[in-house]
Order: sequence, then structure tokens, then C-alpha cells
Amino acid sequence: MSMPVATEPPTNAARLVRTRLAGVVSPASANAVVSPAGRAEVLPGQGGVLTSVQLGDAATGWCSDHLEVGASVRHPEPAADQALQVLACVGNQAVVLDGPAAPARGMVAGKHGALMVAFPPSALALIGPGDRVAVEAFGAGLQLTGEDRVVLHSCDPALLGWLLDGTEPDGRLRVRIAAQFSREAAGAGLGMPASRFNLDLDPALARHPATGTAADLRLGDVVAVVDQDHRRGRRFRSGWLAVGVLCHGRSAAGGHGVGMATLLTAPADRLSLAGDAAANLRSFWLAAAA
Amino acid sequence: MAPARWHAPGPGTAGGRPALLPGCGGVAVGVHMGDELGRWLGDHLMPGACVEDRADGQAGPGSVHMLACLGNRVRSASGDLLGVVAGKRGGLAPGFLPPSLLAVEAPDERLERICPGERVMVETTGRGLQLTDHPGICLSNVSPALLDLLPVQERDGRLAVAVTAWLPSWAAGSGVGQDAWIGDLDIADEEALAGPSLRYGDLVAFQDFDSSAGRFRRPGYVSVGLVCHGPGRGDGHGPGACIVMSGPAAELTAVPGPASLGPQLVELAARPSPPQRVPKERNA
Repeated sequence: MSMPVATEPPTNAARLVRTRLAGVVSPASANAVVSPAGRAEVLPGQGGVLTSVQLGDAATGWCSDHLEVGASVRHPEPAADQALQVLACVGNQAVVLDGPAAPARGMVAGKHGALMVAFPPSALALIGPGDRVAVEAFGAGLQLTGEDRVVLHSCDPALLGWLLDGTEPDGRLRVRIAAQFSREAAGAGLGMPASRFNLDLDPALARHPATGTAADLRLGDVVAVVDQDHRRGRRFRSGWLAVGVLCHGRSAAGGHGVGMATLLTAPADRLSLAGDAAANLRSFWLAAAA
Repeated sequence: MAPARWHAPGPGTAGGRPALLPGCGGVAVGVHMGDELGRWLGDHLMPGACVEDRADGQAGPGSVHMLACLGNRVRSASGDLLGVVAGKRGGLAPGFLPPSLLAVEAPDERLERICPGERVMVETTGRGLQLTDHPGICLSNVSPALLDLLPVQERDGRLAVAVTAWLPSWAAGSGVGQDAWIGDLDIADEEALAGPSLRYGDLVAFQDFDSSAGRFRRPGYVSVGLVCHGPGRGDGHGPGACIVMSGPAAELTAVPGPASLGPQLVELAARPSPPQRVPKERNA
């Protein structure tokens, strides 16, 4: 079932197909990384079940590397894993199929090597690697009516309704964002398909959209990156914007950073970025669950 | 020798035109260092023959890739000289591993006699090479033979490297965040490439970019690379440069060319019996 929202922009959502996909909670990784200063560290990395840091908590400051929010889900067969990666959308509902946490409900919260699924702490306490999780995949192919140059990826239709905040008098779409990144912030993830994985961003270059002051980043924040075109592969292009959701924490390695799963990309003159401290996926999740 | 491989289409281009072009692995007879990149229709095309060192067919770098340096000699299994290492491509990514290839510049008459699957030997030397007068400069993928060819000068206490193109940090695309010894860094910005037409073997500099511990944006640093593959057709991809050195701007700077090592690498590869190299004092 789609999450409830107040107003949905006109889209082709009624023609989209829902597919139930299943994957397995993956084990956690210990990442061996070398910092720009040349120091080698081994830190908790991606994968596994993250129980101490939740959606809405700080994205930086933890002793970790590419920390993934919630439970990280993959499929052991490469082609099925790719389908899980491409078809699942941020905001989709998920359910635990196995183990003592079943049938706890969660929500897709991002993409990296694995699919990240947020669960309430009570469920996370009982989920372990190896448990199966089903995802109600819905949103691949989503298109805003009459907006040919606005391209969506990994975006549940209900999430799109929450993300967009009406239109400006000049017709630009208002997008709620918590932080904005300059063109220099983009790192690893460039050249990769925008419907999978994410783009690493240098957290030191995050700014409040209204004041231009440094922004504290939280997992789940909706953020925008200047001069990024994510229609197909993630790339630099002057005059374009990419909007997405932060789904993994900072990295100790240079060229890596907080990870933004792409939701939307458009020429900058089609969007109006509106600073909103509540532009965090946790707000959408709570509203949808209410 | 690596076979040519066909990989599932990547992200493609925003124009929607699929890229059905050769470039990954195999032997590209007739393609050489010094050629203009625009001369050939390819996708990530490297000159000459491609070498990989994972016998199981798995992508990802092996120890030959990790140790090989530009200018290293490559021999056939019987010991005959084939050519020299002239480039790297590949990398790492979550969920998939692209191929990790070495390019071998070699005369056409030798390229015509080799075949994918054949075993070759790479005489790897260069790991650990340092400039004793410039401890802050990090050399990557540089053999002693290549070091002798680099167009460098001492200028006000800094090492000045001649380059064909001077690129902003945001021109760096695929390859950011990865080890400078693995593969290459793509130049993914048409605006930055609008100036000089690049040739295989040209040196380029990335401003505000460090490559000492991975390739990443770092204000006040400079990274220099050698152009080793042609345009990549997908978004975020482009011509690729194998990093050769990086360091703080206080020790390393880039100046406008001439900066093509292509002809010298062709000459190095064709040398019938390479003379024993006598180390120079500056890199002893």
C-alpha cells in the first residue's frame, strides 16, 4: 500500500506496477580505509543491522565508514539483486518475513551496494543478518505530468508528494531540502547509474539553503547538489540540480562522504529549493505511519 | 592478455544513444600513444594490447595491476620484448567490479602476433619510487624509465610539470575516491575539454585534487595524470588519466606544455634491446 499524503502532484502513478521483491539482511563489513592524512583505520562499515543510529540522527561524527541506516538488504543472485536495487524506491513499504522480528514493518530509506530499510528500534532489536525482508516495490517509471525535463529515480509516488511543496508563481516546482551542496562536493558515485547506488558528498561543503551557513547533516535529510545531472549516469553538468536523500554516513577516505540516493534531477530553472528543517525522511515516515 | 569483453550497458548518455563501441580488453592494433583521442571511435579505448592478471576471469585488480608502472617492460612468455605499460583502466564500485586492465604500447608487427589468453610477463618496478628532494610529492604508477621522460623543472623550490590541460576538480568523474594505483580518473566535463585536443600520453593536471591516499578533491593540492584511454560514452565518464604524481601546491605546480609523452613511450616500446638503465642522482 502507498503511504498517505495530503496532495499528490499529477503523475502517471496510476499506471505503475507494484512488485513484491525479497532479499536477505546482509552481514556487516569492517572497512579498512586510509584517511587523506595517510592513517589506516578499520571501522564499522556498510551492511548488517544498525541499532544505535536511526533515521534522523547525525550523519557525521560516528566512528564509522559508510554506515548504512537500518537493515541492509541484498539478494544472493546477482540479477535478482540488481532488480531489487533498481525497482525498489525510497519510501516503499517493507516487511520482515523471518525470525523473531516478523512481521515488523519498515520503509526503504536508501541505496548503496545494498538496499537500506529503516525499521523501528523495537524491530531492529530482533532483526539479524540472514533474515528475509520483502519490499513492495513501487515507483520505477514515475513521471511528473507535463515535466519532461524532470527525471525521477527511486521515488515512491507518495514520497514525491511530500517532497514537492507546490509551485512558484512562475511555475517552478518547490522542493523541500534540508541542505545544499556545491559542485565541488561530488565524489565517488560519479559515472554510476542514478537509479542505483548513491553519490558521496563532502559533508564539509553542506550549507543551509537560506543562510549559507554550514549545515549539520542527518541521515534521511533531503539535500540538493548544484551542477549535477542524474538523468542517466551521475555526472557534472552546469545548470542542473540533483535532489536526493542521505542514506549513509561519512567516510574516513578522501573522495568519499555522506551518501545521497538520487530521487530527482532537473535543470536548475525548473526547481525552487526551499529550506525546511523538517525535510528529513523520518518526518515522512512518521506522517505516513500516523 | 585480456580478451575483449562486452559488459551490460552502463548508465548510457542523456542523449539516449547507446554506446556500442569497442574498447574493453583485447588487442587494438594500430592504436598508439601519441594518437589524437578523437581519431578512434571507441569507448574507454586504450592503445595496443590489454593485460589483466586475474586468471579466474573475475574483474578487479590483481598484484600485477597493483605493482605495474607506466614504462615497465612487457615480454611474451618466451621472453621476447612486447612493449611497455602505457596506461591503466578500471576501478572498484559497490556491487560490481569493472575490469582492471593494463595497456601495453607495442609496435604493430608485435601486436599482430599476439592473442587474448596468451601469458605475458610484466617487469614491474616503480612502487616505492620517491623524489628525495621533494618528500611531499607522491609518485604513483611511475617507473624509473618514465620518471626520466617527465617534463619537469625546478622552479622556485617547486617542481613544475608541463601539462596539456589544467582541469578544475569538478571535471573529475568516474574514479574519484579510489586508489591511484587502480585504473584511472575520467575527465567528465566537456567544458574543461573544449580547449586543446588531447592525445594518448598527454599530461593533464587536476587543480585542488590529491591522489596520495585515493583520488579526491583537496584544496591546495595538484594531481597530474597521463591520458591513457579515450572518451567513455556514458555520463560521468570521459577520457581517462592514470595518475603519476600529486602533492601540495607549495611543492608541485603545473605549467602549460609541451607535455605529450606519447612519442617517447612509442620509442621506448620499440627499442629492440633496452639498455641497462643507470640511475640518476635525483631519484637514487
